Amino acid sequence: MQYNPTIGIETHVELKTNSKMFCRCKVVDTEEPNVSLCPTCLGLPGALPVPNKKAIEFITLLALSTNCKITKQGMFHRKNYFYPDLPKNYQISQFDLPVGINGSLKIVLNDQEAEVAIERVHMEEDTGKSTHMGTGRIDSATSTALDFNRSGVPLVEIVTKPVLKTSLEAVAYIEELRQLVLDLGISEGKLEKGNLRFDANISVANSESDVLGTKVEIKNMNSLRSLERAIDYEIERQIKALNNGEIIAQETRHWDEGKEVTKPMRSKEGSADYRYFSDPDIPNMVLDEEFVNIIKSKMPKLPYQKRLELMQTGLSIGEANILSKSNDWIVKLFQDVYSTTKNSSSTYNWITGELQGQMRKVEINELPSWFKADSLSEIINLIESNKISFSSGKVILAALLVKNVTPYDVAKEQNLFQENDSEKILQIVKNVITENSEVVVRIKNGEDKLIGFLVGLIIKSSGGSINPSIAKDLLSKELEE
Amino acid sequence: MRIENKSIREINSLFQKKEIKPSELYKQVFENTAQSESVLHAHLKLFEEDNLNKVKLSDERYIKNKSLGLLDGIPIAIKDNINLKGYETTCSSKMLSNYISPYSATVINKLDEQQVLYTGKTNLDEFAMGSSTENSAYGLTRNPWNTECVPGGSSGGSAASVAARSSIAALGSDTGGSIRQPASFCGLVGFKPTYGTVSRFGLIAFASSLDQIGPITKYVDDTRIIYHSIRGFDPKDATSVSDKPVIIPSNKTAKVGVIKELMEEGVSEDAKNEVEKIIKLLKAQGIEVIEVSLPLIKLAISIYYLIAPAECSANLARFDGVRYGLRADGKTSYEMMERTRAQGFGSEVKRRILLGTYALSAGYFDAYYGKALLARKKMIDEFNQIFKQVDYLISPTTPTQAFKAGEKTSNPLEMYMSDLCTIPANLAGLPSISIPTGLSKEKLPLGVQIISKALTDDSLLDFSEMIEKEVAFKEEPSDWIK
Amino acid sequence: MSNQFDIDNVSKLASIELEETEKNKLSQDLSIILEHVQAISNLEFDISVDEVFIHPLEKQLNLQEDVVEEFLTHEEALSNAPESKDGKFVVPPSME
Repeated sequence: MQYNPTIGIETHVELKTNSKMFCRCKVVDTEEPNVSLCPTCLGLPGALPVPNKKAIEFITLLALSTNCKITKQGMFHRKNYFYPDLPKNYQISQFDLPVGINGSLKIVLNDQEAEVAIERVHMEEDTGKSTHMGTGRIDSATSTALDFNRSGVPLVEIVTKPVLKTSLEAVAYIEELRQLVLDLGISEGKLEKGNLRFDANISVANSESDVLGTKVEIKNMNSLRSLERAIDYEIERQIKALNNGEIIAQETRHWDEGKEVTKPMRSKEGSADYRYFSDPDIPNMVLDEEFVNIIKSKMPKLPYQKRLELMQTGLSIGEANILSKSNDWIVKLFQDVYSTTKNSSSTYNWITGELQGQMRKVEINELPSWFKADSLSEIINLIESNKISFSSGKVILAALLVKNVTPYDVAKEQNLFQENDSEKILQIVKNVITENSEVVVRIKNGEDKLIGFLVGLIIKSSGGSINPSIAKDLLSKELEE
Repeated sequence: MRIENKSIREINSLFQKKEIKPSELYKQVFENTAQSESVLHAHLKLFEEDNLNKVKLSDERYIKNKSLGLLDGIPIAIKDNINLKGYETTCSSKMLSNYISPYSATVINKLDEQQVLYTGKTNLDEFAMGSSTENSAYGLTRNPWNTECVPGGSSGGSAASVAARSSIAALGSDTGGSIRQPASFCGLVGFKPTYGTVSRFGLIAFASSLDQIGPITKYVDDTRIIYHSIRGFDPKDATSVSDKPVIIPSNKTAKVGVIKELMEEGVSEDAKNEVEKIIKLLKAQGIEVIEVSLPLIKLAISIYYLIAPAECSANLARFDGVRYGLRADGKTSYEMMERTRAQGFGSEVKRRILLGTYALSAGYFDAYYGKALLARKKMIDEFNQIFKQVDYLISPTTPTQAFKAGEKTSNPLEMYMSDLCTIPANLAGLPSISIPTGLSKEKLPLGVQIISKALTDDSLLDFSEMIEKEVAFKEEPSDWIK
Repeated sequence: MSNQFDIDNVSKLASIELEETEKNKLSQDLSIILEHVQAISNLEFDISVDEVFIHPLEKQLNLQEDVVEEFLTHEEALSNAPESKDGKFVVPPSME
């Protein structure tokens, strides 16, 4: 039987505010435990929450950039459950009146644009951090240590509709979302730091059925790689189970990174009755037109807009997508170099391939201060006009990364300018043919690979400055005669 | 007149004239406490020794004519659900027996500006849940007028402290009548301000949308002075309001409505007679008094006993033994939390948490909590309509005079009924005051309640002061004063 | 609606361990109270819960500027901890 998987993704994004969601404690990134606390985020008796304006602006910005409808009169709700790292034993969240609903996000999948439907965008507060101490195994911990620095840090949760079909689509969605929050300037967007955390809801259904299958929630995927693998594993697991006539249980499963399997979590979490109700400490939040317009006016260029712009230079959507998700300086460099070369393809290849490869080799993360976009343009133009070879271009680029020189100086100094004069080259070709008559005979007998050997000799005897393609053309012509 | 019987304004004037020093008044109130406390048990902790330096400084300020305000050097008791930095805040619960607050409530910071002298932390029903101060993990408080009777609750300790002259005034908190009802039982003025005019930051929450801090005093003017000192917008409380006070007529041009539903069955003849007495008095002044009806008031107790427990079920979830307070043993965190809460909370608190949990749980939300929210909204609409016709509403404060200790402890519903008249003002966020008007045959105090529309607190106090003058209630629980 | 009170489920949600005698007494009390408040659940209203303001004065929310303020020191934060180690609060294991 044919089965169709359906995937929905819930993503928590940590917002880049100075202070926490409901108090004025600093958002800190430190291993030192319990150093940024107040009665509110520690849940002391008598403390009250007051929402952070910047966080609400950030959430509204994200909701608007994903085409969501903004809820004019929003509310904060208490989500009740007991867990030691949740200080109040309720989490302030938004239930039926979130900041934004019914939006969409444009992503790039298999070199084509696709759209992911967004169900809702709402605010949440983070919990504290538990460390399980004991023999090392998580289920044999002897005690749990708690650090509440993270408690009350603002999060935005973005929930997609159950519309994704593959793990690759899910990865492309997260990549796009990550770029979006970076471009909006609302999050550090670091997956390895947990700035973006995602859960996936997965179901599979008979392809002839209109009804979705039973939903299974997968948690604890810490990287794009584990997201991809966990989804693939879970889809396969569910299909296998259905083929064996089993019933899929609605449950929450945990991705085991080491064993690369999903495992059911304790039923305690699955059967929760959160008793949501409007938080009586926080009056209704009105996001009126004036507020929304102010936020709209702060909207930067979005990733899909950046992509469209880049595509106007002639890049493919795939290239534009990769470039749009690169660091800002790379995009800027591309634009500057392109403006003089007018050759998007070679500019793209030089920047995303050679330049970044060489930077990795010499272990630098940013360009040296003397490195100018014009220098790269010059290299590309020298190659395009056959004044230097492609490999000489690489040599020049390497030199430019370590010292403050111009491409011209390097080419001159290292004698990299090419001989393009056919007359002069022909003379050398003729000499080489005469001097290697045995090789010429073998070539004529079919040993074609020796042509390269002769080209090498030609370039060598010129001191390396000959344009190899001209040399090769002339050689071929001579050999035919 | 003994100094501790005088009003704050009179005392302050004596301080200014250097006829008496703050330290002398301070000594006097603690002498009164020494006589009464072992019987009344109004306080959970007394701060006599802690303030000696503070008292001296107050004396010096008056000598130098540099006092900090009307409340400089005035001994005031604080209900033990209001945080005072460096001191225990127990809420009369075992749960917080060892809890020391690392911060002060906003109201305390405000009173500190005038260097108020805190006499102690007063007893209450555990987490302010109760109407008799019998639900305290540290023993009940008795009524200074008759020690067989309860002082009311939940601010029973604060009321008993003022009535026994252990303090000049006290702060209480009022969620469904917890200031006004004990004030009425103890022959005092009790005022619940408009919701949001006094910051709740640092008040240990019972029901957030209903709680409000307010004074318990002997005179309306004392209430005014304290209210003016503690009110004001607080950026730490999102429900705090910055609106300016609204002024309505508080003289003979005022119009008064008698709430019909609170003059019917369930209210004692004594209580009704007090209201009738005041109506006569008002009419004699030429004030128009009419009967008004607010039908939904009949449902107020039902609305309240869904909303308050629902809110408290979440507000009290933080008491789990993890970060502070009592901790019981347990093999897992969850077992530890369940046992801590089992051991730390008394039965009334458990009852309300469970009731609230149920009212919010899947399948019951719409029928219980959801309906209560809607009924509350409709009740507020009824009040808004009525306030188009009248300026003030009058009713008994309590259905009966103070009852005997133990009389209502076996039947929670009967206890809940003692808040029949006071709950509506909390549900609607309205300012409401109880002023003493007379004594019953049993020589127990009776009071009437006056409610006005939101933000008209100042006018309500002016109007109440006018009635106070006319009534001229001068009785004292004399046993403790001699 | 029935007032059958599932005391086991409710006490579990509320995280309060109850003894048998306590369960019986509380179930009984709560049934009486629920009987009393029943009048409300039978009422019909022409508004929805989403239209009801949280604040009784129908005040709208004022948001706080994103400004950092220090409040508690590390020592103050841990001063009431029943158990702590290396600057962290310690509880029995939370993974069952």
